[in-house]
Amino acid sequence: MLDLLTTLNAWLLAPLTDYAFMRRALVGGLALSLAAPPLGVFLMLRGMSLVGDAMAHAVLPGVALGFVLAGFSLPAMSLGGLVAGLLVAGLAGSVSRMTGHREDSAMASFYLISLALGVMLVSLRGSSVDLTHVLFGSILAIDDTALWLIASVASATLLVMALIFRVLVVECLDPLFLRGQGIRGGLVHGVFLGLMVLNLTAGFQTLGTLMAVGLMMLPATTARFWTQRLEGLIGLAILIAMVSSTGGLLVSYHLGLPSGPCIILVAGIAYLASALCGRHGSLLARVRRRAAPLETDENACKPS
Amino acid sequence: MSRLSLEALTLAQGGRTVLENISGTFEDGAITALVGANGAGKSTLIQAIMGLLTPLSGKVNCGVPKERRAWLPQQLALDLTFPMSVEELMLSGCWPTHGTFKRYGPADYRRMHTIMQRLGLSGLAHRPLGELSGGQRQRALLGRTLMQEAELLLLDEPFANVDTHTVEILCDTLREMASAGATVIVVLHDMEQLAQLADCVLLLASGHAQWVEPETLLERHHAPARRHAHTQAPFISLNLPDVPPCSTY
Repeated sequence: MLDLLTTLNAWLLAPLTDYAFMRRALVGGLALSLAAPPLGVFLMLRGMSLVGDAMAHAVLPGVALGFVLAGFSLPAMSLGGLVAGLLVAGLAGSVSRMTGHREDSAMASFYLISLALGVMLVSLRGSSVDLTHVLFGSILAIDDTALWLIASVASATLLVMALIFRVLVVECLDPLFLRGQGIRGGLVHGVFLGLMVLNLTAGFQTLGTLMAVGLMMLPATTARFWTQRLEGLIGLAILIAMVSSTGGLLVSYHLGLPSGPCIILVAGIAYLASALCGRHGSLLARVRRRAAPLETDENACKPS
Repeated sequence: MSRLSLEALTLAQGGRTVLENISGTFEDGAITALVGANGAGKSTLIQAIMGLLTPLSGKVNCGVPKERRAWLPQQLALDLTFPMSVEELMLSGCWPTHGTFKRYGPADYRRMHTIMQRLGLSGLAHRPLGELSGGQRQRALLGRTLMQEAELLLLDEPFANVDTHTVEILCDTLREMASAGATVIVVLHDMEQLAQLADCVLLLASGHAQWVEPETLLERHHAPARRHAHTQAPFISLNLPDVPPCSTY
């Protein structure tokens, strides 16, 4: 019994009690896990799952510009990423509204331009090591500034999401109803994209610009296999993200692997397992599908 | 005094003039049928009345505030994969009074349950929208407009793909709303429903509009030459010169 506790302690707690950088990494990961998954749930429900990925690429030239101008400075790189992301989102939105083209085609065009610019800027100044750092992050090197940044972004995201929650839900389901009520759906959409860029920028230091999307999308797509209610999706996605962050971090510590990919892979395993044996729409659910009994409730569907 | 009238209205969509120089008054408390072939501009006119389309010239005079205008678009305009229950859809009709922030109170729930009972939706409050039949969904959407206490109601082919039970409930409810003073405009194709429901008819064809009496249209329709031999549902004559205009509008 004591042996078991000792082993558990060595595996789960010791890394955190012994090393400050692990504690920082955990707090950063958990904060991101609170804010990013709800955004992912809405992206998924709007059929925009890949837009997060596009935006992550779009953030890159801003980060690179910050790096070229100020060296490896987190505030400069984050600010640059934020500006670049918002610029691409804004340009894509206005081009699609002006031309009537679908927003995803405009966004694809702008993010590709942006990505090429970013890679060009990094190659002008830094070495390939720097590029890897920007792309894949390094959760083990988070300092207090980064932690403050992540915590502020996570708090702001949750607050704003709470404020626009009802509008967002109604807009997803029936945008025309909202327009009829005199609410500009475009504005809500813009705020939502802004939050997404903010989270990707906060996530790039810990997970890298590309991996940050993983913590946003994978928990959301995993939760879809377990619940069909919006609140359930959001809650479960947050839980999955938190477990993945903690688990991935410990795995990366014990096996000496890079932390970003570890966290996303743990979330990926959760996704695959859910696709196999989740409650709704998984492989197992399809095999075991039984029909619900006929309605016996006399109120249901009864002609009045 | 009428709350909704059109004044020399010309509407264009995608660079093409769809409707030209339409004038007329929609009576309060009356159900007006909007009739015309596909592409005649029925949906365009509805958009203009909802204030979602700026007219090329002329104007829509509408005394109903924006939040009391309701539009039931054609079926399938909704994203049914979105995880929302009937209850949540109906409560979103509280928007004019509750907006983004206000909590739904016990009175709102009571009102919702009364409306659900009236529409034959009791027991379905927590059912996801994706699991409803076409008729149930249409009733839930009408439920939202009742929650909204709409004074101007525009419905785009509300009876397409719904069961007869739903058609009955929808007709009764629309009639009740009209009796309570609401202005109701319905896009219709089916002659029997028009006979049952419409107080007056606005006929749209080749970019022009004409107000006609439902009786006139029905008489025309019953002339044997006008019958569609191969379809079961009787359809409406669509040539303006065939139909004498109505004198009152």
